[in-house]
Amino acid sequence: MKQVILTIITNINPDKSNDLEKLLFEIESDLEHNSILKFPAITLLHFACFVIISGQGSETYLIFENNFDDTIDNYLEQLTQEAGPGLHKIYSCCSDYNEINYDKTRLITYLRHAINYPNTYHIGNVGRSAVRIQQECQLREQVEDYIDTQLRIPGNKVSVLPLRNGIQNFARTNSLFSSIKSVGPRQTFIERFLPWLHVTIFLIGLIIFLPVLIPAGTLWVIVLRRVEKADMASKDLPNVNHLQNLVEREDKIAQNHIATITTVKPGWFRQITLRMVLWVANLLARTSNKGELSGIPSIHFAHWALIENGKRLLFFSNYDGSWSSYLDDFIDKASRGLTGIWSNTVGFPKTRFLILDGARNEAAFKAYARASQLETLVWYSAYPKLTVQIIDKDSLIRENLYTSLNGEATTEWLKLF
Amino acid sequence: MAGLQVTDIQGFILSSYASNMPCATYMMLRITDYKQGRTWLSKLYADITPASDRKADYALNIAFTSSGLAKFGFSAEEVTTFPQSFQDGMTATHRSSILGDQGINAPENWKWGNKQSPVDILVLLFAANEDILAEQVQASKDSIEGTGGIEIVVVLAAGRQPDSKEHFGFLDGIGQPVIEGSNRESKQFDRTGHATVVKSGEFILGYLNELNILMPVPAAKGMVNFGINGTYLVFRQIEQNVSAFWKFLEEATRKADGTTDLDSMERTASKMVGRWKSGAPLTKYPLVDPVEAAEVNEENDFEYQAGDRDGFGCPFGSHIRRANPRDSLNTDPVKALQSSKRHRIIRRGRSYGDRTKDVFVDDGKERGLHFICLNSSIERQFEFIQQTWINNKTFAKLYDEVDPIIGQHTRESLFTIQQEPVRCRIQHISNFTTLKGGAYFFMPGMAALRFLAGI
Repeated sequence: MKQVILTIITNINPDKSNDLEKLLFEIESDLEHNSILKFPAITLLHFACFVIISGQGSETYLIFENNFDDTIDNYLEQLTQEAGPGLHKIYSCCSDYNEINYDKTRLITYLRHAINYPNTYHIGNVGRSAVRIQQECQLREQVEDYIDTQLRIPGNKVSVLPLRNGIQNFARTNSLFSSIKSVGPRQTFIERFLPWLHVTIFLIGLIIFLPVLIPAGTLWVIVLRRVEKADMASKDLPNVNHLQNLVEREDKIAQNHIATITTVKPGWFRQITLRMVLWVANLLARTSNKGELSGIPSIHFAHWALIENGKRLLFFSNYDGSWSSYLDDFIDKASRGLTGIWSNTVGFPKTRFLILDGARNEAAFKAYARASQLETLVWYSAYPKLTVQIIDKDSLIRENLYTSLNGEATTEWLKLF
Repeated sequence: MAGLQVTDIQGFILSSYASNMPCATYMMLRITDYKQGRTWLSKLYADITPASDRKADYALNIAFTSSGLAKFGFSAEEVTTFPQSFQDGMTATHRSSILGDQGINAPENWKWGNKQSPVDILVLLFAANEDILAEQVQASKDSIEGTGGIEIVVVLAAGRQPDSKEHFGFLDGIGQPVIEGSNRESKQFDRTGHATVVKSGEFILGYLNELNILMPVPAAKGMVNFGINGTYLVFRQIEQNVSAFWKFLEEATRKADGTTDLDSMERTASKMVGRWKSGAPLTKYPLVDPVEAAEVNEENDFEYQAGDRDGFGCPFGSHIRRANPRDSLNTDPVKALQSSKRHRIIRRGRSYGDRTKDVFVDDGKERGLHFICLNSSIERQFEFIQQTWINNKTFAKLYDEVDPIIGQHTRESLFTIQQEPVRCRIQHISNFTTLKGGAYFFMPGMAALRFLAGI
């Protein structure tokens, strides 16, 4: 099943911003049982968040991040079906929502108009729905307990084949798992093949236009080096209170959330460069379907999106582990790609040739990331104990539960527990 | 290779002094009067041991908490040139959550280092024998009382056990990185069959780190390079409950007929540590403690990907694999090792308290480890190890388990031992260690000490 990432961005009515904050606070205080938005009922949802940003002028925006399964139509249908009246309350605090009474169709139309699509995105556990992820976790947990009971039987010599047969029987006779006998591929052949085709076409295009690209590229590098030398890196340290607010929300579950907003450097040169980098990054990210983005194995859903006609850049990520381990992964494994993107925004640490230095300057990069980070007012995860890698492990357990495996493959399969 | 400025670096940064000076005492002090404190420091200065000093009878080193520096005249603005972790101190709420210092390990239950008993200065005293140590401790006490302005919060005695084993019975302090430029590579190689050289900037401020970057150096108005040749010192007093540890293992491995299974007990304990009691790594010796491995000196010569990918020797969740995952956390071992090198610490801890006579009997005496480590970034090194490796419930694809030895456990806590045909899980792990105190210190260079003392 396909996953979709998008944000819904709306204008907050300044007179009602207090009401809105109260609503968001109530949701965040109890994600499951609050009266406004009971997240677990929205079974298509993986991760969601609400943040508020100030606009370039006096306006403020509400951003609702959605990472979900299936089509946009089906998702909006389920979202409004399960939380329509609550969303009506939330959007009644926005200036361009003029409904006095809740009307599902009109709310859907309103939300649809406010959709902002990512320029670049990444999905860690490609092709697995939120429901499937939760079910596979449950399967693993129960099989683990089954194995424990087998090991506890005095005198029971556990061996590979009988144990696997026992696990299969256990799953088959357990009513919770009777529906999981067959599982389709994570992605169809077309879904796997198309991204590579796109990359190939892109590379062929590069070669064909090489005679034009070489002089154009040289010119671009010359201009780039001039603007890079003139760029000023921010020396500001993140405000201590802001930092405190951010860290207080972190490390509650296996995952964390980061939302940042940065201003794109003025002028057409940076604008075009950034759009090109985001486009190429997205092209390459589509080919990554093994759970890693540029070697980082801990990202569930992440995306970059330009807003306000490209004036500012949003970044959202739902990742495993601590903020500092995530940022260290950025620096260790993906500094060039990230520098290539964020070097086009104001205040980023000094770069060379778009992708060098920048994020490698650890202290400056971390300060920049914290300073541009927004407070995540509401954040929901459908599977708070699972990392990308554990979800992959669970999928392998399930996908090979009933397949015919030879002795060696069975031994490997048992290592997954 | 960057030459280290050994005349400016305090001796403790480059040497544990353990081979020449097995006796140690740590004094935690509080400043009550800045002017007198400064006089005290100016008198003490001549006794502080720089790394260039190779004397073997006694050594003295000193470090300051952020409150200590503030009392020595650092303005709020100057203090912000230090990293947030050091400014906050170990007991700030967020730092406790990063470190996993909750429940019985929460700062309010500590004996020192918390709000009830704050610490400004740490003085580390080392000596060749108990007599010299007693003399030095007395001299320090006299000088503190004589000058005034300083009071003693707590005096912590330590001493290496005769056989370098910590109280649970395992050889300790084996896997240490070698600081580039310290000329100790061959020494470490001879000692453990392996030496990982790590850039000096990972441990001493003012040098290039593993990313070839100079991290910002803390500054004072009167001394721009105040932090140069300094390091951050993390101190944690960890009580070890030896009888709880061995009694738990005795129960967990009891035979079906109710008798104690000594072999299984010792094997399971070693699985939790990742080494046999002799220090021999399970990755190299998965079946039995070679005992004499300590003599062949190769306790540290192993990697996980080549020798122990499935954790059948050293379990994924064992203490040593969590504390230093070496090359195991990336499909590419070379890249994994590069990342690990950015999260290393130099451990300089020493045991305290008597060795237990019978490990199964609670004799009511306190014993444990004065854990000390050095790093140039508390966030990226000590705290990272604690949060992302030691206390991470999903470390290396594990689920719901933390470090079996030093982690804080709940009723559901597990420890998984990978093996064929299928893993076994030790259930309901209990707590074997308790935190008694701790603080983040900065250990300045000699010139910075002169600046603080006004000499």
